[in-house]
Amino acid sequence: MKMETKKRQKQLFGILYACLAASVVAELLVPLLSPPLSHEQAHAAFVWQEIPGFSAIYGFVGCILIIVVSKALGHRWLQKEVNYYD
Amino acid sequence: MTEWLHPGLVFILGAFLIPVLKGRWKKAYLLLLPLVALLDLSLMSEGTFWSFPLSDYVLTFGSVDKLSLVFAYVFVIASFCMTLYALHVKEDGQHVAAFLYVGSALGVVFAGDLFSLYLFWEIMAWASLFLIWYRKTKASSEAGFRYILVHLFGGVCLLAGIILHVQNTGTADFRVFDWGLGSGYLASYFILAGFLINAAVPPLHAWLADAYPEATVTGAVFLTAFTTKTAVYVLIRGFPHVELLIWLGAVMAVYGVVYAVLENDARRVLAYALISQGGYMVAGVGIGTELALNGSTAHALCCVLYTALLFMGAGVVLETTGRSKFTELSDLGGLYKFMPLTFWLYMIGAFSISGFPLFSGFVSKTMIVESAAASHLPLVWLMLEGAAIGTFVVAGLKVPYLTWFAETKTKKEQAEEAAEVVKEKEAPKNMLAAMGVTAFLCVFIGVYPQALYGLLPHAVEYVPYAAGHVVGMSQLLLFTFVGFWLLRRMLHGTPTISLDTDWFYRKAGKRFLWFCEKPLLDFADALDRVLKDLTNSFVWFSKNPTAATRIMLLSLAVVVERSFNPTANTQTQTQTQTQTRTRTRYEQDLEELRRLYGEPAHRVAIGTGVLLVLLFFSFYLLIYLTHGVLWV
Repeated sequence: MKMETKKRQKQLFGILYACLAASVVAELLVPLLSPPLSHEQAHAAFVWQEIPGFSAIYGFVGCILIIVVSKALGHRWLQKEVNYYD
Repeated sequence: MTEWLHPGLVFILGAFLIPVLKGRWKKAYLLLLPLVALLDLSLMSEGTFWSFPLSDYVLTFGSVDKLSLVFAYVFVIASFCMTLYALHVKEDGQHVAAFLYVGSALGVVFAGDLFSLYLFWEIMAWASLFLIWYRKTKASSEAGFRYILVHLFGGVCLLAGIILHVQNTGTADFRVFDWGLGSGYLASYFILAGFLINAAVPPLHAWLADAYPEATVTGAVFLTAFTTKTAVYVLIRGFPHVELLIWLGAVMAVYGVVYAVLENDARRVLAYALISQGGYMVAGVGIGTELALNGSTAHALCCVLYTALLFMGAGVVLETTGRSKFTELSDLGGLYKFMPLTFWLYMIGAFSISGFPLFSGFVSKTMIVESAAASHLPLVWLMLEGAAIGTFVVAGLKVPYLTWFAETKTKKEQAEEAAEVVKEKEAPKNMLAAMGVTAFLCVFIGVYPQALYGLLPHAVEYVPYAAGHVVGMSQLLLFTFVGFWLLRRMLHGTPTISLDTDWFYRKAGKRFLWFCEKPLLDFADALDRVLKDLTNSFVWFSKNPTAATRIMLLSLAVVVERSFNPTANTQTQTQTQTQTRTRTRYEQDLEELRRLYGEPAHRVAIGTGVLLVLLFFSFYLLIYLTHGVLWV
């Protein structure tokens, strides 16, 4: 049973890595796949959108930041014991 | 009158028949009402109906245009799914409250003037209150009280604004309100405050995260859809392109996510995620371009469906286990083995709210984010994208992970506890069916967005499935998962609550009450005593004014005497003796007078009084007879 779960987990992580890689590779193919629809879409609205893999970096860093900062705020200030208002 | 039927009326009048019906008939009737309303909507054409003059104003109950129609459609469709979800509930009161709530929300949507808007706004607040109170716990009763107090405050703000607006402009029609800085816009400020409270915009949002998780299992599902979304609707109609809203919305989107990371209760996490989603819509209203307003409308509609689905999932867990706190759920050792279907249906909602391609959130959320880019708002864009990451972390990963998979005890302990707690595998069939229908709609909109876009108030040129969008969103969410997996242990529930702006009325409110009860009441008591003394002295004085005056003068004489001739050691013997004599005389008089004063005064017989009155009347009669009248 345990071996099975381990194996399954390994498989799932294999799929995840494949998806991660695919999403990064796909970005390189975007200009080939879709001709720009309008003048606005042809140019990125912000400088950072020119960085390759920006979404990936922002997703990863943003996730870490949100969890760490929220938890820090919670521990230092916001979180109280359950009967705080009683 | 017959050319148009108000769909809200179908629900409101229909609700009164619910307690009369029994068994299968009741269930059929409950499902029939939303279908009748849907039929009514599909036959409806744009225009103004049901206008009734009321003194100088006109009440309009049926103002139908593309915007009101699209909101009405999704409200009615959602109400069908939610009624199906709540079909097993035995208490008629819950159904009646829910139907009044849906009906009044439709009333707001079709209101063409501010008075009828206010009327339905208030019915909505009261009807929804009962969806919280029917949980019948101490926590729900208290949260319900706080909920209605906040909404009454919001209602008063709205009413004050409406009255000012009507006074300023002379019309009660519901149109775009004037906006600017200065006292001339006071009416708009009040109305906006009323709207923002219902939209749960921080810092006026705490009622939502406080009350929704305390509502009944099925009530919470209804609550997620109507109050906040009607608020978004009236914001779109009344305050488009108000810059303040862009920033409020962007902050709201991030704010909700931060709290959702901290919370321990599944439904409270989802409530904060709901607030965060509202942030996108409010920001979209503020940006105010056609793309942004379309985005806000579309996102409100998608949000109704997927938050309902998420709350349905969390509700099923609460219904079958009686638990919604992660710290308690993880003791069961993973509910996935008991309710895989619920998990997967929940995940469709989770993918939708996170904005995965092919799910509904993707086709609406990206519209608003894109409109921020088109209007060159870099910070807003970053905040909204950041909130998308956070939404996926909390609603898409934290809630399902901690509800269906987390394990904290040994296998044996978990199995024992689960056997005790989990009453049924999977949810009642009607709940699963409702989740299935809602999930289908979420996927349908995601796969075939044209169905939604065709209903939007402005023509849509936006193409959601441009390769750039799909790849960008996929990268964002996939790499978010990597971050989550690394830090997943940090997200485990802790038995805590998080302070929010409700602190001001829950904690500071208590202190205010203490201030009223202690210092303020002491002050009032002191004032009361002084006044009583004053009255008593007047009573005393009026008993015998002459003697009282003499007593007062004598007391004064004694005091003056004492202060001018203090009995000092330096004084001579004779002086002291004379002074003692005079003083004694004054004091003796005073004592005598005081003694006499206490005794009852001389009284006349009652007949004397009557005689005096009769004399007075005779005198009056004489004057009347000679002069005709006494006063001219």
